[in-house]
Amino acid sequence: MTSKRLLSAYVVVMMVFLALPIAVVIPSAFSAGSDLSFPPQGFSLKWFAAILERPAILAAAWNSAAIAVVATAVSLVVGTLSAFALRRYRFPGRAALATLFMTPLVFPAIVLAAAIAMVLAPLGLIRTFQGLVLAHIVIVLPYVVRTVSATLAEIDKAWEEAALTLGASPWEGFRTITLPLLRPGLVAGATFSLIISFDEFTISLFLVGSGMMTLPIEMYNYAEFSLDPTLAAVSTLLILLTTLAVLAVERTVGLGKQFA
Amino acid sequence: MNPRRALNATLMLAPGVALLGLVLVWPFVVMGGMSLRERFPGPIGPSFAKYAEFLGDEYMLNVALRTFSLGTTVTLICAVLGYPIAWFLARSGSRWAHLVFLGTIFPLLVSIVVRTMGWTILLGNEGLVNAALLSLGVVDEPLRLMKGFWSVVLGMVHVLMPFMVLSIAAVLGKIDGAYAEAAATLGATPVRNFLTVTLPLSVQGIAAGSVITFCLCVGAFVTPIWLGRGHVTVMAIAIHEQMVTLVDWPGGAASGILLSLATLVLLGAYGLLLRRWSRR
Repeated sequence: MTSKRLLSAYVVVMMVFLALPIAVVIPSAFSAGSDLSFPPQGFSLKWFAAILERPAILAAAWNSAAIAVVATAVSLVVGTLSAFALRRYRFPGRAALATLFMTPLVFPAIVLAAAIAMVLAPLGLIRTFQGLVLAHIVIVLPYVVRTVSATLAEIDKAWEEAALTLGASPWEGFRTITLPLLRPGLVAGATFSLIISFDEFTISLFLVGSGMMTLPIEMYNYAEFSLDPTLAAVSTLLILLTTLAVLAVERTVGLGKQFA
Repeated sequence: MNPRRALNATLMLAPGVALLGLVLVWPFVVMGGMSLRERFPGPIGPSFAKYAEFLGDEYMLNVALRTFSLGTTVTLICAVLGYPIAWFLARSGSRWAHLVFLGTIFPLLVSIVVRTMGWTILLGNEGLVNAALLSLGVVDEPLRLMKGFWSVVLGMVHVLMPFMVLSIAAVLGKIDGAYAEAAATLGATPVRNFLTVTLPLSVQGIAAGSVITFCLCVGAFVTPIWLGRGHVTVMAIAIHEQMVTLVDWPGGAASGILLSLATLVLLGAYGLLLRRWSRR
């Protein structure tokens, strides 16, 4: 039993290690002082109000949200179709194609970012909303394909075949049977996709510029010249958003299934 | 497959393949072309001048070596520290397992900028760690905890630990408990049981986690640049420098191709290893 206790104690320590750099940001956001020193001095909400006086941060947050929504919408449609074809059909080159869809997960993001910039620059798509959306789609697509694919694997094909036998067209079968059963995978995939895109830093690095910034890069640039609690306040809001999203997925579909 | 089904599959895959072709494969081809130029704008080579420059440049070779050792160090630490967590998740049967699972993946979903800033608050000159050491009288003046190789290692281990834990846990969860029970019945001590039965059976999980961790680590940009404060130049930072500061696109492209090739070779070797395992 002592070894079990030891393991539990170790896991607690590691959980603290994983949570600490995130948790430590929150008290700093409520500091009355003007630097990020720890422990924070006093209590104040002024740094949250200060965000509203930073139009650059607000504009970047708006850009990031819009990019995340459009990139997620596109990759939900494209990713679901691809996951369906990869799961339900057997054809030569299937394994290679499945690997290609997962490549952006492990490929060095900085290289992909530079390569995409080289292609988009002559097209005049640098520092544009469309250019950033294109790059973000590639980054979030694997998450959608993976969650949808995992859910598809658990759906019995017989349901769909029964619908076809009863005279439904393939599209009707998909729309009335498979799509509703896919909902958990779609919800999880969409949530991850929104979060990943909203937080993505490296892939946007060569594609942003004056007039078209994303929030993570704007935050990084801001930190370069002043490290005041405004950033901690923005971060606290981001942590809150992430927590709500994770809880929503956990409540509606259960997170465990999506990572199994 | 009958023609009808073949047509369906093709139509379904078309948008995805077109997107990846245009925004993943084609850029990589363009980058390959760029790396074969001597300068840009300028004539298209083919010239291997930029590759020769990289291999003859002591600074870049040092950067490559530093990146490689960062990847190796971080992967090893993640495997050793992560294994017990994976074990707890997959095999302890504890009612806290799900909470630990949430605690493991939550950091993955929090913005990398937020996490890195958290480390600044912890490790900075006026940060939590220095405040604690000063008030305890352990040190007289704040330690310089940032700016070094090891602060980057710390940050990277924090970022990549979840990937390692989830990979190992996925494999540990599939091992039939009967093997360990049989070994115990036959008189194996818990330590011997672990070393000769469970650990070998979970090697695939460690391998999968290590490949992901290493690949993500050698490609990392935010953590090394922020926690290294310009003192820990890795490949990703050097590529950014070449492209943006020096505006040497062919040079940046050559470094990028080399980094990608290293990653792809590693992934390919891992794929071969997996195929071998599945044949057994």
